[in-house]
Amino acid sequence: SGGAGALAQWVLVELQGEVEPRQSGGLAGSLLGDLHYTCEGVPVLIVGHHILYGKVVQLEKPFAVLVKRGGGPQPSPTGPHGHYTVTALIKTKLLFKTRPKPIITHVPKKV
Amino acid sequence: AMRSRAEVDATLQTAKLNPAELLPAVHCLSFGPQAGGGECCLLQLEPGLCAELEAGHSLIIRGEKDEHAVLCSKDKTYDMKIADTSNMLLFVPGCKTPEQLNTDSASCNIIHSQIAGFSNNYWELRGCRPKLKKLRKLLMEDPYDGPDSQKDQTSTFSKYTTEDLLSLIQASEEEILHQLQVIGACKIEGYWRILDFDYEMKLLNHVTQLIDSESWPLTKVPLCACLEELGSLEPREMIEHILVRYGRKYVDAGEVFFEMREDKICRATAQMLLQNAVKFNLSEFEEVWQQSVPEGMTTRLDQLQGLALVDKSSRPETIFLLKVEDLPEDNQERFNSLFGIREKWTEVDITPYIQDLCAEKQTVGALLTKYARSSMLNGVKVYNSRRPIS
Repeated sequence: SGGAGALAQWVLVELQGEVEPRQSGGLAGSLLGDLHYTCEGVPVLIVGHHILYGKVVQLEKPFAVLVKRGGGPQPSPTGPHGHYTVTALIKTKLLFKTRPKPIITHVPKKV
Repeated sequence: AMRSRAEVDATLQTAKLNPAELLPAVHCLSFGPQAGGGECCLLQLEPGLCAELEAGHSLIIRGEKDEHAVLCSKDKTYDMKIADTSNMLLFVPGCKTPEQLNTDSASCNIIHSQIAGFSNNYWELRGCRPKLKKLRKLLMEDPYDGPDSQKDQTSTFSKYTTEDLLSLIQASEEEILHQLQVIGACKIEGYWRILDFDYEMKLLNHVTQLIDSESWPLTKVPLCACLEELGSLEPREMIEHILVRYGRKYVDAGEVFFEMREDKICRATAQMLLQNAVKFNLSEFEEVWQQSVPEGMTTRLDQLQGLALVDKSSRPETIFLLKVEDLPEDNQERFNSLFGIREKWTEVDITPYIQDLCAEKQTVGALLTKYARSSMLNGVKVYNSRRPIS
């Protein structure tokens, strides 16, 4: 359901590939990276040893973020069952599609 | 520990990015405590739904374990399908866009944003026909056949309130309420009931006989007088219900009248006659039918679309009952069923039996192209099944 009060506006960040924790112990609480914008408004994401350049996209079809009441498993193909609440709307995404540029921190000296 | 400005600047330096080319604010993104839980999912919104949500309206997901889920707004129904993306989608609350940062001069230098969740798929919506066949099926479990019915006292069948129907039928509230009106259901003691057909005809006959004996014009049947005269025979709510179902209500000089609907009455009379046998000699049927309707009404075969089918190939021509609401709701099953009844159909004959399958902006022609094969028979275009019928 919608619910009283204005809905929060979130942003979608779209990355290629998968997100994996660097340390064991799962993702919760761990850092992803720093998100900057250039003066021209280009989003720049520094993740680990990579720099990702992206663009701000206004979504033609916005998303609603649904949160399942009472927890439970992911929605299955035959359909989500149970009670869902709309927590937020997403009208904007930051799309990072360009190949990440590695950050070279140590250049071996020529001998 | 949260990142400090010094750490952010150090990273920028290592990355060889020039801070002068960047906006001053940085978002330090980390995964929130619930992020990996999988309790959040994304739903892609069709036009109009976003505005509905922002206006505070609800969207409801409906479907029992054995049904594919649908999403219902106040007045529309949508199929839900999972779309996979090869990318990772992270949902970030409180993340600002460059415009927002620029206009918000007071924004602080570091924004610690927690990623609420992530996914590599989302729900896609596609507008669909509401699944209303179940509504009739539920109400037909226990049709109402009058207050004197022995059945009701001992009935063990479920009776359904509006709330019950909303939770069981995969359609929006408006679509359900509209369909209840279309099938002539009425609320009796808080429960939606469909009338047993014979009882409905009994009620109708009371009214048409009264109209005849009082010599009222069919266009001006007074509500009050009906309730007075017939109130001793049947419940007043039932009399009014039958007038509303088979007439058009209007007010004249403060009094309520009904203009009786010829097409509806003729159609119901035909159903009453046809349900008694497998098929009828067409000309005999037409004669009996005209004699059975109220004086002043004219019967026409086109009043029977979606109710009965004429077989022009038999000698003599015959007519039999075929109700569209008894046919399957699924497109392919509907066509299979129709081609099982008759091998070749003209467009005129088949249209009343497939019209309700048309999605928004879809034509009968488009359906025929998809589910049937056409050919010429005696100079007339006919449609038959795409697959061999067993």
